Amino acid sequence: MIRLENVTKVYEGGTIAANDVSLDIPKGEFIFLVGPSGSGKSTLIRLMLRDEPVTRGKIWVSGKDITTLPKWKIPYLRRSVGTVFQDYKLLPNKTVAENVGFALEVLGRPRSVIAPQVAQVLDLVGLADKAKRYPRQLSGGEQQRVSVARAFVNRPPIMLCDEPTGNLDPKTSVGIMRLLDRINRTGTTIVMATHDHAIVDAMQRRVIALDEGKVVRDDVLGTYEGLGEEE
Amino acid sequence: MSRILFLIREAFVSLRRNLLIVAGAILAVFISLTLAFGALVVNEILRINTLAWQDGVHVIAFLNDAGENGVPSNAHEVLLEDVRGWDEVDQARYVSKAEAWIEYQELFAGQEELLDIDPTILPASIRIELVDIALHNSVKFRLDQQTQVVRQVTTAADSIEQLQNLSNVLNVLGLGLAVALGLSAIVLIANTIRLAIYARREEVAIMKLVGASNWFIRVPFLLEGMIEGVAGASLAVFTVWLGSTSLARAGEGFALFRLDVGQDWFLSWGLLFLAFGALAGIVGSLMGLSRYLRDADGTGPDTPAGF
Repeated sequence: MIRLENVTKVYEGGTIAANDVSLDIPKGEFIFLVGPSGSGKSTLIRLMLRDEPVTRGKIWVSGKDITTLPKWKIPYLRRSVGTVFQDYKLLPNKTVAENVGFALEVLGRPRSVIAPQVAQVLDLVGLADKAKRYPRQLSGGEQQRVSVARAFVNRPPIMLCDEPTGNLDPKTSVGIMRLLDRINRTGTTIVMATHDHAIVDAMQRRVIALDEGKVVRDDVLGTYEGLGEEE
Repeated sequence: MSRILFLIREAFVSLRRNLLIVAGAILAVFISLTLAFGALVVNEILRINTLAWQDGVHVIAFLNDAGENGVPSNAHEVLLEDVRGWDEVDQARYVSKAEAWIEYQELFAGQEELLDIDPTILPASIRIELVDIALHNSVKFRLDQQTQVVRQVTTAADSIEQLQNLSNVLNVLGLGLAVALGLSAIVLIANTIRLAIYARREEVAIMKLVGASNWFIRVPFLLEGMIEGVAGASLAVFTVWLGSTSLARAGEGFALFRLDVGQDWFLSWGLLFLAFGALAGIVGSLMGLSRYLRDADGTGPDTPAGF
């Protein structure tokens, strides 16, 4: 599903954010990217989204080499990849339903299709009764649920999540993780960058640890500190 | 269709959200185009009046009475034939003493004190239209040589030349003004769109994140610029039309100078200005958008941010 081959990213000024990273992420897998701040987790997410160009190496997403993707094709890549961020990235002037529906408006779906699809996904994230509220009227956890709903509304095969629980309390984080787990069970591949020990340890999924841009550990059923089963 | 409606709705939502900035852009286009359109109207008034003079009689040769004071009885006919043969002359018409009296009576109808004159004092004349108004001096010179027949030569050419010179100067000034103000309108719209994008930069980033193409992001801003351009141009056309028709109404009955430019002229030029307003809005928007979307492609300058 996602393959990184000797990927290196060097920013202007010489900072190395990814250093010869090679990874294989099969379809339907749930992966945690862990590591301290500045280890390159968010950069890897951005490289997989073609939000940044690689300096060296290749990245394949759903069989396509996205490092050579022409600019005009980048939106098509992003339509097949749902994204969830720590700061929710919701449009403040749109309601919950409009925010979720926005991802479908971009695809040019007719309203007759958008309305039931939005209702269905809001039901999935437990916000069916808050469809007409604005983001400012919701709690942090609820806003993140809207963000997850928007990422999942067009049923993308891949979801990239960058610290989705970073702004949430532990109880709310568990709710979001349950939601992501549920989405993963539908066959969606999920790559999640986090430094939340409790979540990683509780989920017992594949853990890829990064340090200074290098992969330092890849555990199939891992924990944050690396006590899980070695690959 | 759903997508088009969505984009139009987005453009209007943005216009409503940034009312002050939008009002500034419309005002800028309005002022620029009002000045440019106003200059065009003044120029058109001058052109119409120059044409009115040009279409009329350019030179009049008043003649001594034939058969008197040594003037041969057929002198008028001979001179008329001569004049008609000149290269500078387009048309020449003879007005006899009797016709001059009729014309005089028509001109001063109702003014008894002016009509109480001896009709025989009115001279016959030859009314000449020239091929080119610039040739009036040559024709006047040739007529002045006919001292026996020609009593006096009058010409409207000086006034026409002055109008033509003024018209030429105004043409150049008007064109220069229109270009400068048109460009300033485009730059002002570009600035407005840049401000609008800056105000909505997070929204644009989210749009890109969910897979919106550059054109999907651009279209609402292009529509926004176009609406601003057309609104400013409409106001400008309406204002100049209002000013011009008021001027024309005030100048009604002022026979020497026409102040109305005609509704057809207004319609065609007004539409052209509206089209220019729309184009200025689109070009301004594209200018405002180009740098932002280039940088926001994810292929712009690399900056480490929270990796």
